[in-house]
Amino acid sequence: MRSVIPNQYTLACGSTVAIFLAMPCSAAFVMAGTSIAVSSSAGTGTLSNTLAQVSPNSWTATGSWSTASASVSWTNNTFSWNGSTQSGFANGNIVVRNNTSAAQNFSVVINMGGAVTSPLSFGGSLGGQFVNGSTLPGNLASDGPVWEARADNGLVRSELHNVLLVAQPFQVVSIGDFSFSNSLYNGTVTNSVSLGFSMRLSAGGEASFTSTLALQTIPAPGALALVVLASAFERRRRRR
Amino acid sequence: MKSVIAWTGAVICVTAQTLAGVDHPDFSFRLSADGVAGGGAASDFGSVHQVSQTEWLFSGSYGATSGTLLSWTYLIDPDPFVTGTFTLTNETATARDYVVDFSLSIAPPLKASLLAGQAAGSLTDANGSGSALLTSLGGGFIFSALADETVVQGLMANASQQVSFANGTSSFSGGSFGFPTPIAGPAIDLTIGIRFAFSLSAGDSVSFSSVFVANPVPGPTSLLVAAIFGGMRQRRRF
Repeated sequence: MRSVIPNQYTLACGSTVAIFLAMPCSAAFVMAGTSIAVSSSAGTGTLSNTLAQVSPNSWTATGSWSTASASVSWTNNTFSWNGSTQSGFANGNIVVRNNTSAAQNFSVVINMGGAVTSPLSFGGSLGGQFVNGSTLPGNLASDGPVWEARADNGLVRSELHNVLLVAQPFQVVSIGDFSFSNSLYNGTVTNSVSLGFSMRLSAGGEASFTSTLALQTIPAPGALALVVLASAFERRRRRR
Repeated sequence: MKSVIAWTGAVICVTAQTLAGVDHPDFSFRLSADGVAGGGAASDFGSVHQVSQTEWLFSGSYGATSGTLLSWTYLIDPDPFVTGTFTLTNETATARDYVVDFSLSIAPPLKASLLAGQAAGSLTDANGSGSALLTSLGGGFIFSALADETVVQGLMANASQQVSFANGTSSFSGGSFGFPTPIAGPAIDLTIGIRFAFSLSAGDSVSFSSVFVANPVPGPTSLLVAAIFGGMRQRRRF
């Protein structure tokens, strides 16, 4: 049975959103909450988000941010921190639509609050599409990275830099994709890890993204040595 | 005089009722998961915003079919076109066969049509199992364009897409039809629609963005008018 926690927030343009929800903690990983931030040159938006617990260690978020003529929606964004497997996971399925008559900037940050000790290994991916729902050629553009993963404020990885994707009227173009794994991060996470999306959409443009971010603690050398010693003892005991 | 006032009042009432009745067009969805179907009016499962005189934006989600989550954002115009994106996640422990339909009531009916459409998608290993697989059902089309519930065009026949990377994502183009020159289509009386039919591996998610546009074929009268205007313009040049 899912427990559902509905939330409603009104956001000012350019402000940082904070939907902070107390969650149970695991022993090794401390889950502090989730937040989803949206800012846009399209104006002030209303944000609603519903969080549902789907297992002892994971939650899903479904919601939207919208103005009269622009919207960002997300569904089934999963947040999971697992103390027993020493791993965390977040995904972001978002759709950003600009129905204004001019190009607009959008920034979305999906934040998973928590603390983890270093070193960490990150993996993740991104894919997506751009739909031009306009009678004029349209584009998705960015001055920096379209996608970035952060641990606290430290950059873990960024992708799709300085993008300019052009689509003819009523056409769909693939944004492309990338996947990575075993990306070492030496910093300790004390606050959160996050997925960020930034882009500029032409009038009538829609961008959809499917993205994942997974992290895992790498056992320290001392702990590794203990594991090796323990297995060696076990083998020796079995031989006897 | 009284009757004139009464008639005027009646006309105003009817007009007001008609205007009040100008609501969003009917836009519905149907989700079949391993043959178990559900769905309804998209407006009952999310929000609708009128974004221009003829366009509406539908956003919503549906999770009533056990173990499947579907969400969508579609811009529609009963003129007609359907453009947008849906994301579907198979939360079960086994691969499942899905058919997802979105259907739009059109106005006015088209005596003959010119069609164009396109689809693209992204497949994600959402459970970090190391793989994700998307295949068409029985070698058929993954994307079909519908006119009055009948398939008029299809894309991604006998197609498959896979991810072989933990937490990985693969984007793919599904092709197009009617770009840049629209292709001839049938008369369309009631609805246009889009259908996605595919099998999706356990724990994984897929998103599809698509466009389907149906335009009326210019009738003989409008062609005649265009020809006359063209002729006049040419004559003026000489």
